[in-house]
Amino acid sequence: MFQWEKLGKVFTPQAIGERPWLQEFAQAPATLIKDDVVRVYFSCRPPADARGQYVSYSAWVDLDRHDLFKLRAVAREPILLLGAAGCFDEFGVYPVSVIRHGSEVRAYYGGWTRCESVPFDVAIGMAVSHDDGTTFQRLGPGPILAASPDEPFVISGPKIRYFNQRYYLFYIAGRCWKLVDGRPEPVYTIRVAVSDDGIRWEKHNRDLIPPRIEDDEAQASPDVFFHEGRYHMFFCYRRSERYRGREGGYRIGYASSTDLLNWERDDERAGITISESGWDDEMVSYPHVFALDGQIYMAYLGNQVGRYGFGLARLKSGLKD
Amino acid sequence: MAYHWRKLGHLFNPEQHQLPAGCELYAQSPQALVLDDRVRVYFSTRRAEGGKFVSHVTFAEFSKDFSALLGVADHAVLPPSGLGCFDEHGIFPLSPLVHGDRVLAYTTGWNRRRSVSVDTAIGLAISHDGGQHFERVGAGPVLTASLHEPFLVGDAFVRHFQGRFYLWYIYGTGWKRQSDDAAPDRIYKIAQTVSDDGIHWQGSGGVPIIADVIGPDECQALPSVLCVDGRYHMMFCYRHVFNFRQDPSRGYRLGHAWSDDLLVWHRDDADFALAGTPGDWDADMQCYPHVFSCDGQVYLLYNGNQFGRHGFGLAQLQKV
Repeated sequence: MFQWEKLGKVFTPQAIGERPWLQEFAQAPATLIKDDVVRVYFSCRPPADARGQYVSYSAWVDLDRHDLFKLRAVAREPILLLGAAGCFDEFGVYPVSVIRHGSEVRAYYGGWTRCESVPFDVAIGMAVSHDDGTTFQRLGPGPILAASPDEPFVISGPKIRYFNQRYYLFYIAGRCWKLVDGRPEPVYTIRVAVSDDGIRWEKHNRDLIPPRIEDDEAQASPDVFFHEGRYHMFFCYRRSERYRGREGGYRIGYASSTDLLNWERDDERAGITISESGWDDEMVSYPHVFALDGQIYMAYLGNQVGRYGFGLARLKSGLKD
Repeated sequence: MAYHWRKLGHLFNPEQHQLPAGCELYAQSPQALVLDDRVRVYFSTRRAEGGKFVSHVTFAEFSKDFSALLGVADHAVLPPSGLGCFDEHGIFPLSPLVHGDRVLAYTTGWNRRRSVSVDTAIGLAISHDGGQHFERVGAGPVLTASLHEPFLVGDAFVRHFQGRFYLWYIYGTGWKRQSDDAAPDRIYKIAQTVSDDGIHWQGSGGVPIIADVIGPDECQALPSVLCVDGRYHMMFCYRHVFNFRQDPSRGYRLGHAWSDDLLVWHRDDADFALAGTPGDWDADMQCYPHVFSCDGQVYLLYNGNQFGRHGFGLAQLQKV
């Protein structure tokens, strides 16, 4: 079993100021390690509009490499503007996952549009940075991974990885919209696609992680790393109904694999759950694991899926079990 | 060699028939499936639902010389779609293709959006009963928005030529407002892509194949292709982006292009021409063409005024 030492909340969007587009939420942290700082990408929101609807932007914060609780810089602008009228990313860029590719940094992101019968749809877009991850430009106005016969909607939550000379994109795909008290709630599961160039993808077209708490369990944030002959995935899952509070809210799960396609789920090993009190006492979600200077850290979200920011935990033991 | 279309008249008027699923209006985008003893024409018809329309696909059957209407189906050929799916708010059009002992149907599914009226994507359904009923290969589309084709992927037409499946389709290039308080109007272009199995498509990467004749905002739709005397011919329709519903001079007209290699298309609307007949059902608009051959003749199905509200007509190809 993994043993994580919670270090506390590291970033609080409400405390930043001077950025109308960054008022609350710091969701889905993803890191880019630099010489002096750890750049953490996250997704945030301005206040809801008159109809109570949000848009999402993505940005970054630089944490001091030698003291991750010291903020060194926060993006002045979102890394991407919202998409044009009718485009898949017109109403949100959330979440973002980055990877170095030569001198570029590539970003994969969920783009959000608004629909009539259901609240939204999502597809995965791609953007490139030529200034080491500070600003990004879209590769094109459309998505690089979208709906297909077996994955009809909500293609979201990308996590880009490079293993064995191939790109792996872990993501989620919607399985159904479930009507709960007359409101459509999305049910989604963890999937993977493989690519030689990071642009053209072949979907594996299979659920990687079997549901555990109910058939319609929703899964997100498939965060994979390799260590000593095995691939490890931390992810999060929740109930399909009444998941916005402590009871049915997100928890962090774990699976491992030797081939990236077949996974063995063992949530008992995850070793991190809600606290008795504090910023993460109702839910823990959107794990992202990264190695830094001989330590392994997990960035994750607490209550209300990151409305008040993200925190860090440090691995004490468990990786070699 | 030049050709023109000789009109055979207003072949089918939906107001004169009992249509399934409570549909009363429209018989849009007719597409032919030529059978041994008859020609089945699939079309999309509509039912009003909460102030908006939902399109369903059904068919009518004709004798092979089109002298007799043999019947009108009493059912929609596809069951309703699921919540949130790409074709939840209708299928328009459906394009059939015989493939072995199956009939493939390439569908354009419509789903409503908030900031713009709609998006579309291309689905695939398969029939094992000769095209009476179809089952979707999945709940999602086989071709949808991609990096350089960001929305409004639709109007699929597939043929097997030179050992490969060719797909002609359209994709959106922009949503544009005539004025600040106007609803956005869409612009779309014709593209093509190939496949070895008719199921897996890459898309063209945003490469239009038909030159504009009324400027860069020309909207092009419903490509269909036939080989006539050794040359490939495409019929499609095109219109202006704004005021196309109100102003007949800006509405749909039929266009034509030809190709010898299925790579480069030469636009030539003067050949294969068909114009509206003043005072008649197709006076103001000609749209949604479909070319096919039957018993050695080449035919064109098409819609007239009001995007097919009054049904479809037929024309026959003649050498000039």
